Amino acid sequence: MSEHKPSAGDNDQAFYEKRAKVYPREVHGIFAHLRLLGVVVLLGIFYGAPWLTWGGRQAIWFDLPGRKFHILAWTFWPQDFFLLALLLIIAALSLFFFTALAGRLWCGYACPQTVWTEVFLWIEQRLEGDRARQMKLDKGPWTSRKLAIKGTKHTIWVLFSLFTGITFVGYFTPIVELMPRFFTLQTGGWENFWILFYGFATWGNAGFMREQVCIYMCPYARFQSAMFDKDTLVISYDPARGEPRGSRKRGVDPREKGLGDCIDCTLCVQVCPTGIDIRDGLQYQCIGCAACVDVCDEVMDKMEYPRGLVRYTTENAMEGKPAHVLRPRVILYGLLLLVLFAALAVGIGIRNPVGIDVIRDRNVLYRELPDGRVENVYILKLLNKADSVRDYRVEIRGLPGAELVIDRTMPVAVPAGGVVEIPARVRIDPALLDMPTAEVIFEARVEGLPDEGNERRGRFVGRMQ
Amino acid sequence: MSESVNVDERPLVQRAIAVLWPSFLVAGVATVLLFTWVDPAELSQCLDGMPAVTRMEAYSVGFFILWLFAATASALTCYFGRPPSR
Repeated sequence: MSEHKPSAGDNDQAFYEKRAKVYPREVHGIFAHLRLLGVVVLLGIFYGAPWLTWGGRQAIWFDLPGRKFHILAWTFWPQDFFLLALLLIIAALSLFFFTALAGRLWCGYACPQTVWTEVFLWIEQRLEGDRARQMKLDKGPWTSRKLAIKGTKHTIWVLFSLFTGITFVGYFTPIVELMPRFFTLQTGGWENFWILFYGFATWGNAGFMREQVCIYMCPYARFQSAMFDKDTLVISYDPARGEPRGSRKRGVDPREKGLGDCIDCTLCVQVCPTGIDIRDGLQYQCIGCAACVDVCDEVMDKMEYPRGLVRYTTENAMEGKPAHVLRPRVILYGLLLLVLFAALAVGIGIRNPVGIDVIRDRNVLYRELPDGRVENVYILKLLNKADSVRDYRVEIRGLPGAELVIDRTMPVAVPAGGVVEIPARVRIDPALLDMPTAEVIFEARVEGLPDEGNERRGRFVGRMQ
Repeated sequence: MSESVNVDERPLVQRAIAVLWPSFLVAGVATVLLFTWVDPAELSQCLDGMPAVTRMEAYSVGFFILWLFAATASALTCYFGRPPSR
């Protein structure tokens, strides 16, 4: 075998360019095990999490129609959007941090594209056989055997994708009722649409697009190199040790033949899911999956050469320079992450379930009453971010002698996650005002929970005597 | 994909994806932002003549409208990126 191109398969008119289909050879080894672990754990979380319950409801439930997100004991409302934004910034920064430290760990082990592609490849290999058999099958004519194999593969792929789509929608609609409704054809139009949409995306991305998603469609793949420096962990071929490459018999001393350690078996190319040759140096198509490391170590073992001709290393280490784990950019990303995590924890910790907003009536500045007092009109918005209905009582302070008049019986019941608007009037004898305007504090308290409450300042406009 | 390739020479599927994919990403983000800020249920109460829709329908339709707008921008970029014909 001396081919350098990934395969001799058909030249598909694929989505992006004329490309040869990549048939990654199955690989075994430590990094393959790690990736398998990633696949099992991450897909276990994805397919399992919607089935967990917490206090009688789905534990992780993004209730879009109800405009609230349930995550374990917490319930988040649109008012908590900044927490979500903070969480997304933390996620992005974590990605930067790990990229600076250890390269494309995300791509190789955790990205949904990688994880689902692994499952689809596994199914394909079980049905169509190893790399050589797959290539032969694809080249061969459409016999009944080929039809049966391809048909079975696509049936299993489609069923798996459909299940994935249902699970995805199960994060937004309680899955325990969605699943039976789907199988009895009782799901609504949009539910069906999103199940099919996500299922189709899974089938297309993991079954067909595969490495093209990473190479052409992924924004992260395009800018990840900005996070790299000479101390970032990358997968690299050691040309000083491997070159000049060439085939030889086992037991022959390569130095005698003037050869390096690379036996040019091209297995590193055959296992590559993106179809590149790692021996050409660092390439942006490399997703850092380490399949080439595993397979080359196996070959080195067979040849009784030391392992690590292709290995995780850094540019500095390759040049024999000292490696630095703690670098300015790693420290900076780390510190920023710590600060943001602290902010998120504080933000969740001090989240007040009671909200009150005060809006002054815009039409009338103030009104004089027959008894000589001055009146201001406000709209109070009472917000309940808790999980259950609560009774609110509103009072004012900070304006001695003022009276609060609300034409509703107190306390006011505010539903879970709801807002109740109440008109409120504040009256005071102008003789008690020493300035034309004054500040009045509206205070909302939860009946029966003396510690729960919130307050908001309002402006009182009066006429001085 | 080398940079010197004439836009017109790229296959249709590729141009379609170049328009649809970035606009899909942007529409997703825009949908989240828009509907965090605006509750479609309240909106249909405020606006006269707005048909009564469920939130789920509003979110879904809103996403596709935003996708359409973003895709229009992407398509125009593609169109103006071509060398002008004589």
